[in-house]
Amino acid sequence: MNAGMATVNYIKVGMSTCGLAAGAQEVFNTLTQEVARRNLNIPVLKCGCVGMCYAEPLVEVAVEGLPTVIYGKVNRDVAVKILDKHVMGKMIVQDYVYEGVPRT
Amino acid sequence: MNMQRPIVFIKDTGATAKRDATREIYTSLLTLLTERGLQDAIQVVRVADIGVYDKGVVAKVLPGGKLYANITPADLPELVEAVLGARDLARLQLTTDPNKQARLVLANCGTIDPDSIDDYIAAGGYEGLRKALTMSPEQVIEEMKASGLRGRGGAGFPTWLKWQLTARQQATPRYVICNGDEGDPGAYMDRSILEGDPHAVLEGMLIGGYAMGSAHGILYIRAEYPLAVTRMEKAIIQARERGFVGERILGSAFSFDFEVRLGAGAFVCGEETSLIASVEGKRGTPRPRPPFPSVKGLWGKPTTINNVETWANVPFILRRGGAAFAAVGTTQSAGTKVFAMTGMIRNSGLIEVPMGISLREIVYDIGGGVASGKPLKAVQTGGPSGGVIPARFLDSPVDYENLGKLGSIMGSGGLIVMDEDNCMVDIAKFYLQFCVDESCGKCAPCRIGTYQLLHYYTKISEGRGELADLDKIRSIGQAMQKASLCGLGQSAANPALSTLRYFEDEYKEHIVNKRCPARKCKALVTYTILPDACKRCSLCMKSCPVKAISGDRTVGYTINQELCIKCGQCYNVCKFGAVKGA
Amino acid sequence: MINARINDILVQVPDGTTILDAARKVQVRIPTLCKHPDLPPTAACGICVVRIKGSAKMLRACCTPIEEGMDIITHDPEIVAVRRSVVELILSAHPNECLTCGRNGTCELQKLAADFGIREEEFAKHLQEAPRDETTRAVTLEPRKCIKCGRCTEVCQDIQDVWALSLLHRGFETRMAPAGDISLADSPCVKCGQCSAHCPTGAIFEKDDTRTVWNALSNPETHAVVQIAPAVRVALGEAFGYEPGELLTRKTYAVLRRLGFKTVFDTSFGADVCVMEEAAEFEERFRKRPTDLPLITTCCPSWVDFMEKFHPDMIRHFSSCKSPQAMLGALTKTYFVEKHNLDVKRIFNVAVMPCTAKKYEITRAGEMYSSGTQDIDVVLTTRELARMIKQAGIDFRDLPEEDPDHIMGDYAGAGVIFGATGGVMEAALRTAHFFITGSLPASVDITPVRGLDGVKECTMDVKGTKVRIAVAHGLRNVEYVLDRVRESKLKGGEPAYHFIEVMACPGGCIGGGGQPYGVTDEFRRKRAEGLYLDDRKHPVRASHENPHIQQLYGQYLGKPLGKKSHQLLHTKYTARPQYIK
Repeated sequence: MNAGMATVNYIKVGMSTCGLAAGAQEVFNTLTQEVARRNLNIPVLKCGCVGMCYAEPLVEVAVEGLPTVIYGKVNRDVAVKILDKHVMGKMIVQDYVYEGVPRT
Repeated sequence: MNMQRPIVFIKDTGATAKRDATREIYTSLLTLLTERGLQDAIQVVRVADIGVYDKGVVAKVLPGGKLYANITPADLPELVEAVLGARDLARLQLTTDPNKQARLVLANCGTIDPDSIDDYIAAGGYEGLRKALTMSPEQVIEEMKASGLRGRGGAGFPTWLKWQLTARQQATPRYVICNGDEGDPGAYMDRSILEGDPHAVLEGMLIGGYAMGSAHGILYIRAEYPLAVTRMEKAIIQARERGFVGERILGSAFSFDFEVRLGAGAFVCGEETSLIASVEGKRGTPRPRPPFPSVKGLWGKPTTINNVETWANVPFILRRGGAAFAAVGTTQSAGTKVFAMTGMIRNSGLIEVPMGISLREIVYDIGGGVASGKPLKAVQTGGPSGGVIPARFLDSPVDYENLGKLGSIMGSGGLIVMDEDNCMVDIAKFYLQFCVDESCGKCAPCRIGTYQLLHYYTKISEGRGELADLDKIRSIGQAMQKASLCGLGQSAANPALSTLRYFEDEYKEHIVNKRCPARKCKALVTYTILPDACKRCSLCMKSCPVKAISGDRTVGYTINQELCIKCGQCYNVCKFGAVKGA
Repeated sequence: MINARINDILVQVPDGTTILDAARKVQVRIPTLCKHPDLPPTAACGICVVRIKGSAKMLRACCTPIEEGMDIITHDPEIVAVRRSVVELILSAHPNECLTCGRNGTCELQKLAADFGIREEEFAKHLQEAPRDETTRAVTLEPRKCIKCGRCTEVCQDIQDVWALSLLHRGFETRMAPAGDISLADSPCVKCGQCSAHCPTGAIFEKDDTRTVWNALSNPETHAVVQIAPAVRVALGEAFGYEPGELLTRKTYAVLRRLGFKTVFDTSFGADVCVMEEAAEFEERFRKRPTDLPLITTCCPSWVDFMEKFHPDMIRHFSSCKSPQAMLGALTKTYFVEKHNLDVKRIFNVAVMPCTAKKYEITRAGEMYSSGTQDIDVVLTTRELARMIKQAGIDFRDLPEEDPDHIMGDYAGAGVIFGATGGVMEAALRTAHFFITGSLPASVDITPVRGLDGVKECTMDVKGTKVRIAVAHGLRNVEYVLDRVRESKLKGGEPAYHFIEVMACPGGCIGGGGQPYGVTDEFRRKRAEGLYLDDRKHPVRASHENPHIQQLYGQYLGKPLGKKSHQLLHTKYTARPQYIK
């Protein structure tokens, strides 16, 4: 995970068993669909388990001009909020950021 | 590219914040910013977790990442100045790096797409293999020796030595096996590595195969990890396509290929010789050692079996050198360890820490402390083979030797945090039930010993215990430790003996006073309502799932013991401490 | 040689010696339970633990080889305490019905409990209830007494290659049973009884037919006839303090009469008859039907059962001869009865065998009733006979020697060596050589077929042809021999062997499933040597020279393979399923 400023845009969803068990597949699908619908130029990727398993589904969002953050306990609604508020509106979504996720 | 504008994260980091002060500070700060016309200049974000714990309200300022702790509303004007860069706020600033983890083996987990070999290569993947192929097998083993890596499956045997023993055998062919049978309840470190960074394991085994003169690798993965199996099979195909697996790898004389074999629901098959028997299609039971697998393993040939985490550490050692690995951790226990931290901990999940870190740092700095806010009672490590470490040893460094001295083991990485709501008799009973289910049954000390221990623990937890039972537990435990054929039996009594060593009073409370202080052993718990403390709010009656509480606001409430199922809900919901669980 | 210290005493042992064996050199017999001297260690029970001096860990003596410089302590208070706890744990899962158990007095667990001075049941009792299996009527399984030592599965799977017995489930639920939890009779079991011969407790036991025999003997109307197998005479004494291999033939005749048998025959005579028939069979195939070679011996009922189940393609190579027991049994109820004008309905025909499968053989097929009634009524194992002798209170050691009933009790040396692996072949060759060439072989002692090697191959010159011979014992060794036969058939041309002898039990019948406990290769060698000694002492070495055999054929049977022979002395075979659904 990159700490600090994003230089390349991406969205990464944790898709190991802990994430999937918490509902990451639905989050991934929502993000993919809604990114397409909004015609956003941001790839939706998957990754493994970063360790903060109790906060899954975890979604890492890197958008230029903003710090890279990791959202936790993401569901459909939060996923949509991430796209609308963070990706498009450049405003970090309230109440869902997890800073305690370890950065390499 | 500059950030658009400064961002302030805020979070009330108290454990059981009855009133979450996050929102209060958020509102105050927003009001202050609006007063100063700065509401669009600075973004304020309430976060769910700020990486720091039990330090009051904490603010993190980006860019820069400076942290300020114990913020009160009175501090906010100064904070705003600090955000704008006009002044320092040293008195509230946290100067130590809150990140206590060291991501070596888990570096790629959560970063790369495990299904993409390109991601792995871009992150330095297969460079370790390239380097190894330019060295001699002996030199590779020397590098492993310099690293000090010890087996991460629990035994802590020096990995270089195991490799050398196999490499020096005359017989061929040789086999390298990845032990992915991870069976400790609550442990899933290996699963995460297999799912999140499968190529790291493959690369490690390729390097090991080269060093030991083996052309055949077997990944033994428990069948209960289907995603890990799928991702691993995909990774092997990709690696083969790119020439990292197969004949004449990367143009060298070295050939190697993999086979994935599934476990079939037996914890004992995580033991080396049982694993070998399972791969050979036989009953998964251990064989006496000597001969060790290095000499006579799979199909009677020299075999090295290493744990998933062990293999995943190898690419780093070859890529950056053994010394770089040995620079982390302690002299006797080099490198890092992945732990699965669960139980009564705020942040449960996987962590990777340098060996030598204290339990206190793990539990409080990384784990966020006890979730309930209650005092820590003990930490259990090593799963069904380990022991409990009472809170008074919290400053002990975590390494192989120290944990052994305390009566526990490193194990594969399970770490369970316990507070006063955990019963030490119950935790031992839980692990004994597991061992009874998983004992292969071959040797008498384990087969009958685990069964007998469970019998006595059930007796004690149901209020039928006698003090003489404690001596029986000790002598059965001793027989199991000394005379069991494999590690499962040898260590199955550890949770029992360890809890008995440190918490004998709790056992006696169960036996003599027929009481379970943690209110876990249902037969020993009686819930009663204290009429003097009862405020007649009726919350307990409403919360009872079996309608065992009756009464009204005038006369108060009583619990019908015949109907009570000891679930403890009334105890939990009563705000006045009027429900006694004794 | 390796140097080590045990209990501070220096020892020197060959490479590969286990701590258990090395300890004998310092006068220590480390207690064991699951280890049988005849089998490789299963390392299951945990009683043989010892320690390296100064180490807290303990290791198993039965399977740990001595290494150079090892410093072993075989016993100290903690080691003894651990051993005792393990014994107590095993007892807590065992019925402890010693007084009503067939192994009372010979049970290895009982001995350990006695040696460790167990005075009370220390731990709570947890028994695994499981029903008895008597379906084979030869070997009885009593899984509730099983201590999961693993010997029976090791013998049945690794040594006999039958795979009838296995361990089911795991943990405390582990149970000894045929795979699929079916009855033993429905499994591939060939009734060889090696499991019962190695079981330390009463969990696997020969079917006890002594009561039937006592009942028959108590009936004054009954004329009880008995035959004893070659292998019995060199092993029966072990129950009475004799060394294995001591020849106690004539005492055995005496004790049988004391028990109440009116007529005492010797299966060795039946063996002589078998030689006549089989040598004639060999001569015929050799001369006229060489494509029906090899000829494979069929005296061993476990081997016959194994062949019918696993290698039915070999049926046309089986000798059609019955076993010596069966031949003698049929002749008793015909030749003997007719000659002495007896009422066959009053005859109660008993055979004492080293073998549990013989209990199965007597009702194996219709040909076992060739006399018009069941030819042999009951088979007793050597162990059962020993118990009967003790029940009667007879002092075996002090008995005088007696003769058998000569008509079918006198035998040639060839007849008695049937009990050892290679003995049938050697006996048959002596007479076959005579049938084909008109003279005995140059040496009547055909030593290449003797001994404990799993497969013995040799050739014998018979009228210019090199006759190729193979002898196998222990069913695992059969595969090698039969595969070579099949290979040579595929190639066409000469068969790999002309004559094959197979014994199911390692060592041959002297190592049979019904013999006294404690068999090892040393016992096998000594018992076999006893038989070869008996052979050497006999004036008549070849079956066809036995005057009673000549009388039998002259007066009754006519010639070998004649009509009467076929009626009484030959049988048929059929492919059988390995698992009966």
